[in-house]
Amino acid sequence: MRWMALIWKSLMRSKRRTLLIVGSLILSVFTVAVLQSLLTTLDAVTNNPNSSNRLVVRHKSGLTQMLPRSYEAYLRQQSEVETVCALQWFGGYYQDPRNFFANFASDETTLFQTFREEFGVAGITEAQIKEYLRDGAGCIVGESLAQKNGWKVGDVVPLTGTIFPINPRLTIRLIYKSPKPSDENVLHFHYKVLEEGVPRMKGLVGSFWVRTHRPEDIPRFIERVDRHYANSAYETLTETENAFNLSFVKMLGNIGAIIQGITAAVVVAILIVTGNTMATAIRERTTEIAVFRAMGFSAGRVLALLLSEGVLLVGAGGGLGVLLANLAAGGVRESLGVAMPFFADFAILPDTVLACMAGALGIGVLATFVPAYAATRRPITDGLKAIG
Amino acid sequence: MNADRFDLGGGEPIITLRDVAKSYWREALEIPVLQGIDLEIPRGAYIALMGPSGSGKTTLLNLVAGIDRPTGGSLEVCGHELNALDDDQLAAWRNAHVGFIFQNYNLVPVLNAFENVELPLLLTGAGRGERRDRVEEALALVNLTDRMWNYPRQLSGGQEQRVAIARAIVTDPDLLVADEPTGALDAKNAEEVLALMARLNSEYQKTIVMVTHDPKAAHHARHQIHLEKGVLDKAVEVNR
Ligand SMILES: Nc1ncnc2c1ncn2[C@@H]1O[C@H](COP(=O)(O)OP(=O)(O)O)[C@@H](O)[C@H]1O
Ligand SMILES: [Mg+2]
Repeated sequence: MRWMALIWKSLMRSKRRTLLIVGSLILSVFTVAVLQSLLTTLDAVTNNPNSSNRLVVRHKSGLTQMLPRSYEAYLRQQSEVETVCALQWFGGYYQDPRNFFANFASDETTLFQTFREEFGVAGITEAQIKEYLRDGAGCIVGESLAQKNGWKVGDVVPLTGTIFPINPRLTIRLIYKSPKPSDENVLHFHYKVLEEGVPRMKGLVGSFWVRTHRPEDIPRFIERVDRHYANSAYETLTETENAFNLSFVKMLGNIGAIIQGITAAVVVAILIVTGNTMATAIRERTTEIAVFRAMGFSAGRVLALLLSEGVLLVGAGGGLGVLLANLAAGGVRESLGVAMPFFADFAILPDTVLACMAGALGIGVLATFVPAYAATRRPITDGLKAIG
Repeated sequence: MNADRFDLGGGEPIITLRDVAKSYWREALEIPVLQGIDLEIPRGAYIALMGPSGSGKTTLLNLVAGIDRPTGGSLEVCGHELNALDDDQLAAWRNAHVGFIFQNYNLVPVLNAFENVELPLLLTGAGRGERRDRVEEALALVNLTDRMWNYPRQLSGGQEQRVAIARAIVTDPDLLVADEPTGALDAKNAEEVLALMARLNSEYQKTIVMVTHDPKAAHHARHQIHLEKGVLDKAVEVNR
């Protein structure tokens, strides 16, 4: 028998109790890992390094208000600007309204330059881009979206408008790959299709996406643009792309506070459950602990054995919980990722795994240490007298 | 019968108690349990410590075995002044020098006989092979080789106590302490256990201190000493 065998046999003393602790740890670590990963996913949306030099210019009064397309000329003139892309959320669907994906009418001439990271431009040839530019009724789609619907280049995609009263029939001219899954769940078509098909959109657009040369240029630029259009018929609100995305995340409510609240509650609950269970388990072994010590096991050695048991239990529970959370992350990407593009990037990141494991082990050590320490402080003669 | 004053036979003492006292306090009130205990026990002795319930037998045994501390006096056991050892040193000392036999056997229920006997060896640094040899030897000595892989619940009370005795001797200690070792056994099993202990004393030269209030059990020892209200009776009975 080795030390490990001794610890293992002690754990298997009460299988019901061992399962209770492992089970409740699986459940709570799973919950916390998934919730915390939601937060990091949303954080990533609003802290996208690719967008560090991109800005969004839109109407000060909200997203449903339009700006004149003529603003583009002024934006382009600014020395900080590399390129500008006019872009409008179209909100159409393919076949079934539940079959959601992001689709935009956008300026095909600057689209690839503005979003070169998202479109994985390195993997696209000039010829492919020309194909799209040449066909005014063409469109481009991300690979995962194409796969989901079984689309190939050359296929016609009929979109049904929900915000705008047109149903464009678009021919796929390019299928692109993107480093991030969420960026592949997108369709773009020529802005003219919207402008010519919907009279009230003539000369108007919802937003301009501006790419600056350097991130340091952004604050001055924002200030100048918004001042320039202040008190005009179409006042602007210019913000970084990350700030723009944050306004969407905020629509979900103060999700951060809710998640942290739930996490704290779960941690407290599991600490109580584990602490109580360990305390009972150790109290039931009072005599046995005294016998071990009589045989020559030092208090420190007994404490180490008991702590090993606790750490092993929560380690197993925590590990399984994280594993399950990873499996569930795949499910989230498949399901929620379709309705909310953010969640296509949902993953349990190594930092979250580490934090969850550290938290679980901390709980294990704390929950075991308190009763185990008390047990090893107790006089041996008391322990031998206890009814065990 | 012999009434000599503390003549437990000659020889070098393995246990020397000088003016040992033990008290408990209930709030400010001192409750003396042992007072003025002077005792020398020579190596190789087999002593039955007798006395009415509550007279302090267990307390005295626990002091000698180093699982309790006196409130007065000094104890030298197996060559060590116990008051001078800290708790960890005392634990190591017990592992090296003392084997414990309890009334309720106190085997670990989730370990089989082999593993129970092996437990104290885990502290000795003996390798796997050496541990196995010594466990097998100890179990053979108590005649339980065929029960090696049984768990305590699969053993009779007498067998459990014999496993416990194997556990007590597996480290080859000089001293065995037994607190009412037959208290939970029927007459036949008690006889077996007592015969085994007598053999450990005569053949293996183990010094044994056994607490009992059963005169039949006490007769298996070489000497009987009596405790009365925390004070040692000077009379020593010699059995053989
Ligand atoms: N932890 C303790 N606290 C207070 N009194 C105790 C404690 N342990 C033993 N005693 C008292 O010491 C006396 C002797 O106890 P013990 O040594 O167990 O006697 P015996 O083994 O002879 O029956 C008893 O009166 C008992 O109540
Ligand atoms: Mg007693």
